[in-house]
Amino acid sequence: MKSKKGHNQLILDKQYFEKFFKSLAKNYKIFGPAEIDDGNSLIEIDSLDKIKLDYRNTRISPKGFFFPETETLFTFDVETKKVRKKETEEEVKDKNRILFGIRPCDALAISFLDKVFYGNKPVDPYYTKRRNSTRIISFACTNPRQSCFCTSVGCGPDGETGSDIIFFEMDGRYLIKTLTPEGEEILENVKGILKVAMKKDIEEKERLMKKAKDRLKKIFEIEDLEKKVEQIDASYWEKLHQKCLGCGICTYLCPTCHCFDITDEVIKSYGMRVRTWDSCMYSLFTLHASGHNPRPTLKERMRQRIMHKFNYAPKDYGETFCVGCGRCIIYCPVNMDIREIIKEIVEEE
Amino acid sequence: MKKIEDEIKNTVKELLTDKKIDLFIGYEEGTLPLRTSPCFVTNHNNVDKLVYNSLCSNNLTVYLPQIMSKNKEEKPNRVGILCKGCDSRSLVGLIKENQIKREDIFIVGISCEGIVNLKKILYQLGDDEIVSVDEDKDSITVKLRNGKKNFKKKDYLFESCLNCAYPKPNIYDVLINKAEYSPKVVIPDTLIREFSEKPREERWQIFEKEISKCIRCYACRNACPNCYCKECFAEETKPKWIGVTNDLSDIIFYHIIRILHQAGRCVDCGACVRACPMDINLRLFTRILVDEVKERFDYDPGISIEEPAPLATYEFEDKQEFMTEVE
Repeated sequence: MKSKKGHNQLILDKQYFEKFFKSLAKNYKIFGPAEIDDGNSLIEIDSLDKIKLDYRNTRISPKGFFFPETETLFTFDVETKKVRKKETEEEVKDKNRILFGIRPCDALAISFLDKVFYGNKPVDPYYTKRRNSTRIISFACTNPRQSCFCTSVGCGPDGETGSDIIFFEMDGRYLIKTLTPEGEEILENVKGILKVAMKKDIEEKERLMKKAKDRLKKIFEIEDLEKKVEQIDASYWEKLHQKCLGCGICTYLCPTCHCFDITDEVIKSYGMRVRTWDSCMYSLFTLHASGHNPRPTLKERMRQRIMHKFNYAPKDYGETFCVGCGRCIIYCPVNMDIREIIKEIVEEE
Repeated sequence: MKKIEDEIKNTVKELLTDKKIDLFIGYEEGTLPLRTSPCFVTNHNNVDKLVYNSLCSNNLTVYLPQIMSKNKEEKPNRVGILCKGCDSRSLVGLIKENQIKREDIFIVGISCEGIVNLKKILYQLGDDEIVSVDEDKDSITVKLRNGKKNFKKKDYLFESCLNCAYPKPNIYDVLINKAEYSPKVVIPDTLIREFSEKPREERWQIFEKEISKCIRCYACRNACPNCYCKECFAEETKPKWIGVTNDLSDIIFYHIIRILHQAGRCVDCGACVRACPMDINLRLFTRILVDEVKERFDYDPGISIEEPAPLATYEFEDKQEFMTEVE
């Protein structure tokens, strides 16, 4: 057999998909998209009939795989004031995981979370533990939604950042592109059923992606957003929050929002220090013990959410913390549209 | 629909021009197909963006307590608001609970023929892209990239609308679409009946299953006009009422308290169900309270401003076997 070394674009015939999947499942626990209660979620795929790859995106982003809604940091005994157990000392439950079939926007979001919890000091041991045991195989988007705007924020239907491998679904076959050494390692055991992609395969992929990109209108230029979303006392903040209800949907469904709260939960002498998702849209988020609240109204809270994504994050991590997945637009009960907010800010300048 | 929309625009234009109101809360077109969005108009030149159709689902009265509790300089003297039947019942509740004053609100009432559940339509449409949407009296036509689909409105209404006994606002200052309004037959809610007839264990199982989807975003609370507390028990830390984790017992605790706080107050507008990103059928539990309050105290929330709230008053004949006898 011809060596495939050096080729990062391979072809998997759809008839071998089951074989491919089963071979992966030998070494990894696989999580992928499935339809549950009329919505798509990422669940453990222990048999192939569960997976639904012709989906558009999941309701909940994959961030919970690394930064769960609730996690116990350690447990303690209230009376002896001693730590019972640190969560980081525990064995990782799923040693080798693959997130299979997530979208490029969500993979990019994970690379952003990496910058917060993983790459930068101080490193978060809880996040790191989960991140190190997980590989990401994303699926390029061929059918973006009307709420999608990834190309406006530096991502795209074929965005590669954050993934170890990216799949392109084509007629009768998948084009597989390996992006990292970890990705190559995953394919090590299934080499036998893969072929090297030909020029015509790559051309077909390009055509497919161009079609998807054409449907994604570019709404603003990401390059100068940071400078534009700079005015903390601008008059537009007075209006932008008006219809916001102050719930946490946008932040909880957002693949990049990562604010959390730390609380002690105590039952008799058993104490647990837990970390839970928190939202800058909640009124108690910044309430001080003194009773003072530096962000007393929705105006300040909305401003915080927007500026964190489009100004503070670029300053701190060099990235705009929005990947254009559109979840906040679809699920907002009052149809607040982050694209409109940014447009309004940009046009105001 | 166009006629109704024009009537609303003209009314609001006049109100703003004559300075009878400083702010009007209505609906505008949303940014996604089939969506509408709440809209705040302060200038009579901007009334053209107002829309009204069978997809105007938000209960706008949710904004009033916050607007009316602003300090003097920022508070509008009088706010105009578009109210369907259920919204007007919420308004009655807010007046009754001293959150707003009747004289501070100008109610543009609209007799409602039921609101279409857009999730049900979107589910039917699958993954095809919507090009345009057209609505006439009985149906909504959605043009897709590949073809076109027609939806009979009456088959896609919200359950709370199918079960609504008062689609006409019971308080208003002007009433839109008097002529076109046709009272509809209330369909008994089979889903609720089936649920309440199940044995207790089974009901609990269903409750647990629904509630376990919760991500604690509190959208059900924030979308509800009845939830105007400045600090919610769910987030209070002193005293700390409930746990903060996503453990089922913590989530259940939040929901039970939220639901019980609605007893004798919930007008079954369905705002909580519509807001829930996880599609939890919250109405299943609050509607039972509505029915129970009706049965025990012959009380319909949101109908009369004067009638005392059932849980704030006592009559000798009130049933109390639920306290003295085990089910």
